[in-house]
Amino acid sequence: MSKLKPEDLAKITEKVKRTMLLREGTGRAKVIVHMGTCGIASGARAIMSALMKEIEERNIKDVILTTSSCAGLCSREPMITVEVQDQPPVKYVDLTPDKAKEIFAKHVLSGEIVKEYALAFGSERVP
Amino acid sequence: MTSSGTLEPSNPGSASSQVPSDASPPSPVGAVLVVGAGIAGIQSSLDLADSGFKVYLVENTPAIGGTMAQLDKTFPTNDCAMCIVSPKLVDCGRHPNIELITNAELAELTGTPGNFVVTVKKKPRYVDEDKCTGCGLCMENCPVTKAVYLDQEKVEVKLEPDDLKRMRSIIEEYKDKEGALLPALHDINISYSYLPEHVLRYVSEELDMPLSLVYQIATFYNAFSLKPRGEYTVKVCMGTACYIKGGNRILEAFERALGMKVGNTTEDLTFGLETISCFGCCGQAPVVVVNEDLHGHFRISQIPKLLRSYKEAGNVKTEA
Amino acid sequence: MKVYRTNVMLCTCTMCVSVGALAIRKRLEEEIKKQNLEDEIQVILTGSSWLCTRGPTLIVQPDDVVYQFLKEEDIPHLVEEHLLKGRPVKSLMYVHPETLYPIEKLHDVPFYRDQRLIALWNRGIIDPDQIDEYIARDGYKALAKVLKDMTPAEVVQEIADAGLRGRGGAGFPTGRKWEFCRSNPNTPKYLICNADEGDPGAFMDRSIIEADPHSLIEGMLIAAYAIGASKGYVYIRIEYPLAIKRLISATAQAREYGLLGEDIFGSGFDFDIEIFRGAGAFVCGEETSLIHSIEGRPAEPAQKPPFPVQRGVFGKPTVINNVETLTNLPRIINFGAEWFAAIGTEKSKGTKVFSLAGNINNAGLVEVPMGITLRRIVYDIGGGIPNGKEFKAVQTGGPSGGVIPKSLLDLPVDYERLQEAGAIMGSGGLIVMDEDSCMVDIAKYFIEFTKDESCGRCTSCREGLAAMHEILTNICEGRGKEGDIELLEELGEATKEASLCGLGKTAPNPVLSAVRHFRNEYVAHIRDKKCPAKVCKALIEYEVDKDKCTGCTLCARNCPSQAITGGKKKPHSIDRTKCIKCGVCIDVCKFDAILVTTGESP
Repeated sequence: MSKLKPEDLAKITEKVKRTMLLREGTGRAKVIVHMGTCGIASGARAIMSALMKEIEERNIKDVILTTSSCAGLCSREPMITVEVQDQPPVKYVDLTPDKAKEIFAKHVLSGEIVKEYALAFGSERVP
Repeated sequence: MTSSGTLEPSNPGSASSQVPSDASPPSPVGAVLVVGAGIAGIQSSLDLADSGFKVYLVENTPAIGGTMAQLDKTFPTNDCAMCIVSPKLVDCGRHPNIELITNAELAELTGTPGNFVVTVKKKPRYVDEDKCTGCGLCMENCPVTKAVYLDQEKVEVKLEPDDLKRMRSIIEEYKDKEGALLPALHDINISYSYLPEHVLRYVSEELDMPLSLVYQIATFYNAFSLKPRGEYTVKVCMGTACYIKGGNRILEAFERALGMKVGNTTEDLTFGLETISCFGCCGQAPVVVVNEDLHGHFRISQIPKLLRSYKEAGNVKTEA
Repeated sequence: MKVYRTNVMLCTCTMCVSVGALAIRKRLEEEIKKQNLEDEIQVILTGSSWLCTRGPTLIVQPDDVVYQFLKEEDIPHLVEEHLLKGRPVKSLMYVHPETLYPIEKLHDVPFYRDQRLIALWNRGIIDPDQIDEYIARDGYKALAKVLKDMTPAEVVQEIADAGLRGRGGAGFPTGRKWEFCRSNPNTPKYLICNADEGDPGAFMDRSIIEADPHSLIEGMLIAAYAIGASKGYVYIRIEYPLAIKRLISATAQAREYGLLGEDIFGSGFDFDIEIFRGAGAFVCGEETSLIHSIEGRPAEPAQKPPFPVQRGVFGKPTVINNVETLTNLPRIINFGAEWFAAIGTEKSKGTKVFSLAGNINNAGLVEVPMGITLRRIVYDIGGGIPNGKEFKAVQTGGPSGGVIPKSLLDLPVDYERLQEAGAIMGSGGLIVMDEDSCMVDIAKYFIEFTKDESCGRCTSCREGLAAMHEILTNICEGRGKEGDIELLEELGEATKEASLCGLGKTAPNPVLSAVRHFRNEYVAHIRDKKCPAKVCKALIEYEVDKDKCTGCTLCARNCPSQAITGGKKKPHSIDRTKCIKCGVCIDVCKFDAILVTTGESP
């Protein structure tokens, strides 16, 4: 590594930004994959891998991917919740890896809700 | 130069008196010999002389006054040292009951308490004492102002090949560097786990520093020991947090368990016991550290198990 | 760069390591592998991040969930439940001491919520061995700003405007100290970071270096630029091996990036750091002793003036700053003097890091704004006193400070107010004592410490402390006499007056403040031969509570002097002639059946 110039600081910052946002728990959007036993049984791990791959391939920095337990709708797993900042969360059900990718591209990146996969708007969780 | 004479028969020592020590209580006559004309000797002489004794005040150096005459202030009152001592010097010189014998030392003491015979050896002054007025002119005019010492011949310190190998890299790193002594001692300490004397002599020669300085530094810091350390050094933390949570009780318990006081090493060189002022692990107080392993939230009842575990680990190591 | 969805921030500070953090790490990595999560979850080793008494701890990000008191066998469950299935494990969380309800989010824990992090800006967020992560948290940005846009005089002015004062204890304005050095025509100049954290009960500097070594390096670079130094030393205690290791690794990384060495950021400014290991002498925390120690001379203090800024190490102008002072600098430069000056009180700006320890629920590092009351530190952040005991006093400033009694709990913490109360800010050790702490014993403890650490140069310190120690020992052992208290006060004042360096000038403080606030306890020891806190061995007796003793024989079997007798299932009794008052019986008794009494023996 050659000597740093002041401009290089920004480049390094950009490079590790994702990790840092992760640590701080803040990001533009958050995708929650429901990973209860039911979720895993119906393929949530595949959804998770697909999403991770998306993030890696598209080099996305400001989206947090996390897990949560069963949302109570076991029959419609695998499901994910997408929380874009300042918008109500959206739940998607009966997913496949391809559907998840589509949701990621449309909703998370472009802000366009994919209505055909969505279950409901808003969260049933007590805030 | 602090011993002083008294008349008390119960206090034998450097006292000398012509009074026979029979059943009748000694009357306050006779003579006392005081050795050392520092502030203590001077004051004793004055007190004795004032109570009617003849005092012989013997002093090794050419002048009386001792260390106090060289001090600036005294503790705890911060009084000026010379203001206290100089009137006493004058009194001492003038007192009819005091005979000053300076530049002299005690050669022989015979007799019994109450009846001593003392031989005092006076060293030559090379000056006629009857004629000298102490004007100081000769001192000012003496051409020899500083004693000249010839360079001492260099003593070569020989090390065993193994020691030499260990030391060479350390010396090479620090030679001709400012402030190299402490880092060098650290490295030796890491290598030997203590500072062996022959190695310190070698360091003193190689880094061209007086051995006294090396010794002073080596003994100033708590991290160094001049004695071989045990294989496992048990350090009991004595930080404030550990103390209020019973650190001193833990230390006592270790002393009992190892059968020795703090600061020692067991005979088989397995365990050493030390205290340390703080490990900075106050959150886990009380803390005990064995070599590099920290044991937090330590309880006295854990001691036997702890010592056993290290002993066994040590045995395994020597077998392997 | 590899993408992970979750980071597990495992605290590997010295303390957590002491309670098994490394075993946890091994197990954690094994379990993650077992669940095939190694591509999704990364384990990061951080410096001290949380409640030090509750180690080993780990924080799961981005979920912001904190776990404490981890044991190896908890790990499989934790990995499966939380990391795989996303169900945080309540049983391993922090439990509120009053509501007894687990708190899930790290930032909701009162200990964390009420702090304000400036010096500890990066605590537990970054991996201390990764310079990139430090840079991503605005690291070295302040340095770039200083080198590009500011003259040294402007930097000094900025720090002076911020009102930053030395965090090592004395509270001298940092800007003024720098100005003395900067305007000194003598060259070369030196910068020394004092990391010889000798005060027992203080561990801020260690934690800062372990958690965030680059903050210190950046701070030193800024300071060096401001005063015109091209060489710096970090004088660090040999007792801190992990901190030394992390600092060496951090300086190596900074050198590789050209952030240490010649022509930094292409500005023509050169600076490098040498790490100097201290060797365990308390007096080396004193500026002039520290300088002598670096020069390789006996570490005895020297008369001031000349101050180090005039004649310091190797006779050259030298600025000595504390670790915490230096780590504040990057934030002040980034956010501006005004921002910093708005925090704290009129004369004490910014925040102070305290190492909270002793008889308190949440011991650990806390960074709070100046002016916060002791009550909030002890009760809100510290979570109060464990086991339902009564609060008695806090001790600040270690062996140079004093005790602050319950009546002054609402005292705002800043340099001046603590001084008025007879204590000092000191380097920031804050030891909480409960009713079981004896104020005579504590005073004796500190005097014993300073007596041993006194370098012996000044008679007042060497002999005065020894005399005070003897009197205190007599009082503790029941041989105190009338007039002892007055004599202690007189000796203490004289020692303070007549000693050369900070050690002797402050060493009597623990006694003087204890006498001032707890005179009754001294009187009780001397007149009634009682130790109200039941600590002083000569004044207490042990006995068995016949009602509580179940006759389990545990104490009898553990007693080192065979002083306890009694049959199985029958109440035991202690033979006072044999009892050595070692406390083992209290330690092992499961029924609280050992009583301690004072002043009742014939």
